[in-house]
Amino acid sequence: MSAPQHDGEGLDARIRLQRGAVELDVSLAARPGQVIGVLGPNGGGKTTSVLALAGVLPLADGHIRVGGDVWDDGRRRLAPEQRAVGLMLADSLLFPHLRALDNIAYGPRSRGVDRRRARDRARDELARVGLADRAAAKPAELSSGQQARVALARALATDPALLLLDEPLSALDPDTRARTRSDLAARLTAYPGVTVLVTHDPLDALTLADHLVFVEDGRVTQTGSPAEVLREPRSPYVGTVVGLNLYAAQGDSRGHVHTGDGGLLVTTAPTEGPVWATIAPSAVSLHRHEPEGSARNTWPLRIASVTMQGQSARVGLVGALALTAEVTLESVTALGLQVGQQVWAAVKATEVRTYPR
Amino acid sequence: MRYAATWRSRVTLGLPAALALLLLVVPLVALLLRADWARIPSDLATPSVVPALRLSLTTTSTTALLCLLLGTPLAWFLARSDSRATSWVRALLTVPLVLPPVVGGVALLMTWGRNGVVGQYLTPLGIQIPFTTVAVVLAETFVAMPYYVLAVEGAMRGLDPRLEHVARTLGAGDLRYLRTVGLPLVLPGIAGGLALAWARALGEFGATITFAGNFPGRTQTLPLLVYVELERDPQVAISISILLLAVSVLVLGVLRGRWLR
Repeated sequence: MSAPQHDGEGLDARIRLQRGAVELDVSLAARPGQVIGVLGPNGGGKTTSVLALAGVLPLADGHIRVGGDVWDDGRRRLAPEQRAVGLMLADSLLFPHLRALDNIAYGPRSRGVDRRRARDRARDELARVGLADRAAAKPAELSSGQQARVALARALATDPALLLLDEPLSALDPDTRARTRSDLAARLTAYPGVTVLVTHDPLDALTLADHLVFVEDGRVTQTGSPAEVLREPRSPYVGTVVGLNLYAAQGDSRGHVHTGDGGLLVTTAPTEGPVWATIAPSAVSLHRHEPEGSARNTWPLRIASVTMQGQSARVGLVGALALTAEVTLESVTALGLQVGQQVWAAVKATEVRTYPR
Repeated sequence: MRYAATWRSRVTLGLPAALALLLLVVPLVALLLRADWARIPSDLATPSVVPALRLSLTTTSTTALLCLLLGTPLAWFLARSDSRATSWVRALLTVPLVLPPVVGGVALLMTWGRNGVVGQYLTPLGIQIPFTTVAVVLAETFVAMPYYVLAVEGAMRGLDPRLEHVARTLGAGDLRYLRTVGLPLVLPGIAGGLALAWARALGEFGATITFAGNFPGRTQTLPLLVYVELERDPQVAISISILLLAVSVLVLGVLRGRWLR
């Protein structure tokens, strides 16, 4: 799947550079007003991409075009201060010696707006994130959620064409995170430029982004709308993020799907050739003895882990194939599930989905 | 958690520790004991002391100013570079810290003297540096600047580099970032560095007497005067020493109270 191409307006970037052990080659494209969620394991190149877009790191090759302007084409490179870019990081990184208002006015002031108009603009931005009454507060006097909102207001006060949010919520405690996430969503809908949101939290990506890009080991492994990605993950990492059992497999016309490590799945919706096969954890049932009945897929497996999630439990199974099952807490106690124990797992053939790799 | 010291460890460690403390404290107490407190005000007002006091104040202030104006940019370059050259420069900077001051004075003579590496070009222009007040400032700067640069560089390295990333995306270039964010945030480091450098300059003796001589009113600073007065009128020497001790303690107190914590 290739990233949608956009010409002129919006973001069009191919980021190629080497940093540490990672050789980065990532393409990003978006229309104005779009929020691209960039996900991936740590050390895969997410933050490096952001720093390259901001102009802090130079490209070795490739290009960055935003709103029709060339920011970097491998030869000519605009310095960060010459780019219409806004940057917000996990730690809010407010200037600790400046009041909230002056933090936000810093951008307009640096870009040549006079003091009074910069302050007026800062007051507007502060009001838009609901902090009109904290203008005179120093960063240390603000809560972490308020700091994050001031940092967002500061990044937006220069009217950037490209807004970069690198893990903007990851430093917040869970309660604050939920509230700040909805504040962020509300503020972003009114923002006309392109937003690149880097996160490792699937919830951030699914609630805030309208297009997802997965970056693993310096490469884009999957792009698509949240709905597409949820339906058809295309890498083990993406499978984990969306919570599906995912297998790279070989399918035949009779409905047999052979996984790489010798496992066999039976499906009612066969796809021939190299396929991805998914099983939702909730479609897996567990039994003490070999089940009889309609399920076409049954395996004796060993329990490797049990974790609780609200009223259900996720049971990690290993054996002929690795499988995660989601079962109710009642069945955990009824079956007496314990780590190390042998159980039978069953999946109906109708619950095994396949699609071309 | 602290452990109760055993009787044996108290003796084997406590004895040398107490000795070390005595070696350091007794001389200071002795100085205070031998001081004639009633005489100090008049001693410090004598015709030989007043010019030396004034000279010490002007030269050390000039030195502090030079550190601020020249040392701050040097610290900035050192702080933001990780190249091999930088670590060599940093190593070079520490040499004056451990160099015997007299050697520093000789080195300065070889630089600025009549036939010195730089001085030979100044002589035809009628400019003579050694044995002038300028030489005092150069000697003090030579020994004090490293303290300042290393202190400020440390403070600058403590800044989160991402603060600069953010400032630059907001439209601030190098100099604006430095003026509005970088320097204000390292102000405590700058103040601490200045205090250290100033105190070191105030105590400068070896390089000064070698390079600038001991001319009253021109190059005779307080430490040089103490040396002279010890022969002439020891009580005056003690009075000046008390003054210098008081200043040192004051600087230390200011450093600890506000910046060293």
